[in-house]
Amino acid sequence: MQQLQTSNSSSAVSPAMAIRQWLISQLAEVLSLDPSTIEAQQPLTRYGLDSIDAVTLVGDLEDWLDLELPSTLLWDYPTVEKAANYLVEEFDVSV
Amino acid sequence: MEKLKQYWLAQQLETDLGDPRDPTQRMSFAQTAAIDESEEFPDAEIAWLYDYNLQDYYVPTSSGGKFTSFEEFVSFVRVMSRRDLNIAIAFTTMFWSFLTWMAGTDEQKETLSRQMRDEHLTMCLAYSEKEHGSDLVGGGVTATKVDGGYLLNGEKWPINRATISGLTYVLARTNPEGGNRGLSLFMVDKSQLDPKSYYNLPKIKTHGIRAADMSGIGFSDCFIPDSMLLGPEGHGLELALEGFQITRALCAAFSQGAADTCLRTTLNFALNRQVYGKTVVDMPHARRTLTHAFLDILTCDCVNIAAARGFHVVPEQFSVWSAVDKYFVPVTLEQMMSDISVVLGARFYMRDEHDHGVFQKMLRDSSIISVFDGSSVVNLHALILQRRQLAKTRKRLKPEKMAAIQQRLANSFSLDSALPEFAPQKLELFSRGADDIPQGLPLLIEELKAMHVDGAQSVIIEVIDLAEIILAQLNVQDEVIAHSAFEHGHGQSYESFELAKQYCRLHAAAACIYMWRYNRQSLGGFFSQGEWLVLCIHRLLSHFDVSLKTVPLEYYENVFQELLRLDHEDKMFSIVPFQLARSTSTPEITENHATASNLQLI
Ligand SMILES: Cc1cc2nc3c(=O)[nH]c(=O)nc-3n(C[C@H](O)[C@H](O)[C@H](O)COP(=O)(O)OP(=O)(O)OC[C@H]3O[C@@H](n4cnc5c(N)ncnc54)[C@H](O)[C@@H]3O)c2cc1C
Repeated sequence: MQQLQTSNSSSAVSPAMAIRQWLISQLAEVLSLDPSTIEAQQPLTRYGLDSIDAVTLVGDLEDWLDLELPSTLLWDYPTVEKAANYLVEEFDVSV
Repeated sequence: MEKLKQYWLAQQLETDLGDPRDPTQRMSFAQTAAIDESEEFPDAEIAWLYDYNLQDYYVPTSSGGKFTSFEEFVSFVRVMSRRDLNIAIAFTTMFWSFLTWMAGTDEQKETLSRQMRDEHLTMCLAYSEKEHGSDLVGGGVTATKVDGGYLLNGEKWPINRATISGLTYVLARTNPEGGNRGLSLFMVDKSQLDPKSYYNLPKIKTHGIRAADMSGIGFSDCFIPDSMLLGPEGHGLELALEGFQITRALCAAFSQGAADTCLRTTLNFALNRQVYGKTVVDMPHARRTLTHAFLDILTCDCVNIAAARGFHVVPEQFSVWSAVDKYFVPVTLEQMMSDISVVLGARFYMRDEHDHGVFQKMLRDSSIISVFDGSSVVNLHALILQRRQLAKTRKRLKPEKMAAIQQRLANSFSLDSALPEFAPQKLELFSRGADDIPQGLPLLIEELKAMHVDGAQSVIIEVIDLAEIILAQLNVQDEVIAHSAFEHGHGQSYESFELAKQYCRLHAAAACIYMWRYNRQSLGGFFSQGEWLVLCIHRLLSHFDVSLKTVPLEYYENVFQELLRLDHEDKMFSIVPFQLARSTSTPEITENHATASNLQLI
């Protein structure tokens, strides 16, 4: 179980929201996009995230959450929403 | 040698194949040159290898074969490769069977094992497509679900052994919307297909391995039963990338075999050629060039033998180790072969002079190794994407983790330590920041400082100095990585590729030190004296902006004398110089060139 206490999340934000925000900000940075254009329900590949990028991003996510995650997490849960929900449900990530 | 059982098979195969310089022997340079000119697939030679039951060593013991270690595997692949890459590569497409050993059901494994061992079945790997190259996810071949199986459509090209093989591993899209989970891997047994539903593409004319079956395969509404699916549907990309980790590291053995022959044939020329009243080998430039080549072979040995063993110890780190190995070894040895061509001179370009033109043939044949199975840039790219994590992890290693790293390194590097069974299911798409080789350096330096060495005191001091430089360079590189904007995907800068090459060199330099540290006692003699080690690290660090102490000139001469000795005794140019087939005609070597063989290594 991991406490999320990063600059991205305030105490009022649910774990799923905090993860969403983190993923969106990472994706925006990686793909040089405006964060407001990234929709949580759209497949990540639609934004140009390729297979190996998706694996690299899991590494960053592991670092942030201090958790060991399946390397194909973002292949199996290929939207921001699905990935965030999966993490909250499977790993009991909480704020 | 008696102790290192993993080299017995290679040594036996050498004896049974005989001296390749003798035109009457099987797979001799004369015979393989003729095969190359004919551009005809070497059926008889491949059949001989089957009759020898070498295919058993591609099948794990748990599935009824004789494969136990990758260290043994790379040693016998070297034996084939030093004769002819065309034959070695054509026979070794059987290493794709590791996809089944990794992901197959018990039934699939049993069937494949029986077919390979009893029916001499072989396989090809059909991933590439004309329009999509390395972009596996972009591939256009589809497998559409129907009752009881799938319908395959599309073409794979260029594929080695696409025509002359019974089994084809096909990567195909099973779900158009599935993204990275939309690809599946199939082991397509051609004997079960409707012959009208698939076809082979014409032979492709190539620069090297001209006698290979380089072609392609196409499918049109080709029905394949469900039983041909390998692993779960949608897992094709993951299996493909993990499978590459295995085969990429094994490809380095092809380069090592070719490098041995190129150096041996050039050395022989230099020993016998007289110009200006001098023998070529006595000219300092030629002598040093040949010495450098031997050093490059020793460096690559340390990297590749460690990788072959590491598969058994740290499979979870192979997204890194395999990328380093597949980049570093073929590229270093290609460069080495090109460097020594100046010693062979005009004959390097001739197809029928000096050992039947084997030098130019090896040069042509081996130039594909750094391209197929993931090219050099693809491997460097794979490394770049993990580079930031590797840096972060190294920075925050805790003492208890260091102790575990040290234990694993001891197992990966001590050639006489027993290896655990290879567990392919432990391969991972990324290594979570782990790479034992650079990460174990601080402890290695401590150990070196505490080491008592008889007779090699000056060497140990030099090695400690060099190890500290390697560590300092890693720190510099990690800082650069930590402070640079990280690019994802395929937008990596040219500079990041250069940095990744430097990382490979540091990884290689550290590997040389571990190899020495863990086998000094058992390998003894020349190996133990460590002068080669100092020179190998010097060569690697010459690519960095550091000032190095001058190396005593006698180190070069001592290394050269060892090269002469191994050649004279027909031993592999290697840190494990196992016995090769005896020369049928040993050239006379005068006292000036060779020293007495007082160092019996193995
Ligand atoms: C003799 C031979 C045998 C082969 N055998 C097989 C086989 O058995 N099975 C099989 O499936 N394939 C096989 N191949 C295909 C081989 O693996 C392909 O050449 C490979 O997939 C690359 O494709 P491409 O050359 O079309 O390059 P592309 O993928 O089209 O790439 C073009 C160029 O883009 C650059 N590039 C590509 N990726 C990156 C990256 N990640 N980072 C930076 N730059 C990049 C490189 O400069 C590259 O050369 C074989 C090829 C040959 C020549």
